[in-house]
Amino acid sequence: MEVTVKIFRYNPEKDQRGNYVTYKIEADENDRVLDVLEYIKGKTDGSLSFRRSCAHGVCGSDAMRINGRNMLACKVLIRDVGANITVEPILGLKVKKDLIVDMEPFFDNYRKMLPYFINESPLPADGRERLQSPEHRARFDETTKCILCAACTTSCPSFWASDEYYGPAAIVTAHRFIFDSRDEAADKRLQVLAETDGIARCHTAYNCTEACPREIKITKAIGEVKLAIITGKLD
Amino acid sequence: MGLKRNVSLSTGLRYKGQGPMLTFILHRIGGLGMALFITIHILASFLGGKGGAFVNSIYENWVFQIVIFFCVLFHAINGLRITILDLFPKLIDHHREAIWIEWAVFIPVYSICVFVIVNTALGG
Repeated sequence: MEVTVKIFRYNPEKDQRGNYVTYKIEADENDRVLDVLEYIKGKTDGSLSFRRSCAHGVCGSDAMRINGRNMLACKVLIRDVGANITVEPILGLKVKKDLIVDMEPFFDNYRKMLPYFINESPLPADGRERLQSPEHRARFDETTKCILCAACTTSCPSFWASDEYYGPAAIVTAHRFIFDSRDEAADKRLQVLAETDGIARCHTAYNCTEACPREIKITKAIGEVKLAIITGKLD
Repeated sequence: MGLKRNVSLSTGLRYKGQGPMLTFILHRIGGLGMALFITIHILASFLGGKGGAFVNSIYENWVFQIVIFFCVLFHAINGLRITILDLFPKLIDHHREAIWIEWAVFIPVYSICVFVIVNTALGG
């Protein structure tokens, strides 16, 4: 089938602003949008720039706006988006070139969540691992699935308004550690999230939940963190 | 180097969120509508006389009332949904159903309001 792909293009060395270039190519309905982009880059226009790595929905490199919604290009089939496709960079982050955005503000917010395991207590008597019950593990299982693709954060109207807002992905990361029974720094993270640019800026538009390629119930995770801040309890 | 990160209102509105984003936008419109109504109301009282009467005639107009009723009712019902889901995050699993319930409550109640306003305005 013939596929018409309209792609946002921006070359910082030549362009003052972005523009759209349309490509017509032959593709199979079972091809992914990433395959189409690869084809255009390989056969039609080598200057097209976009991030990709694993191409299997695990690394989170190729989040982009496809037909107006944030998706991973490697997880979307042509048959699901139709023969007319518009591909644009994700919103709320500076566009560096074509579909590549500056992810630094996103990772700045991520780092504010202390995204690592903190436990200063002595190791168990056997000197090995800190055990955890399956029930305790299940408490934060959902939020361990995040691949930091930024599809959620850049679909959030509050983040569009200000990149000072930590954003859904950072809160999901915080949730993963806050509700980990082995971690001891939940208070620190909740303190950070209680700040002006924290959890209060979530206005439950649910765009994050809809955009997540890992199907994490992000708004629910944010809701649980909100409740933990209000009640001071992690149950 | 790079393009600025600014997301314009039109760009944001063109993002294809689903039903929840529609309620998010309508909630903001409802809030702005109520703020406008209250401002006009205060202005009418403040001005008094002919100026006040003129401003009064704007917000007492039945078309304006239909719009304001939409703003108030939607903002109230949607606000109630948001509050309930905020207090009970476990219910967020059913947020889509919650939105359907919201519309199921809003549409008949608003329809009755519109009917009464139009009937009163045109029928006397």
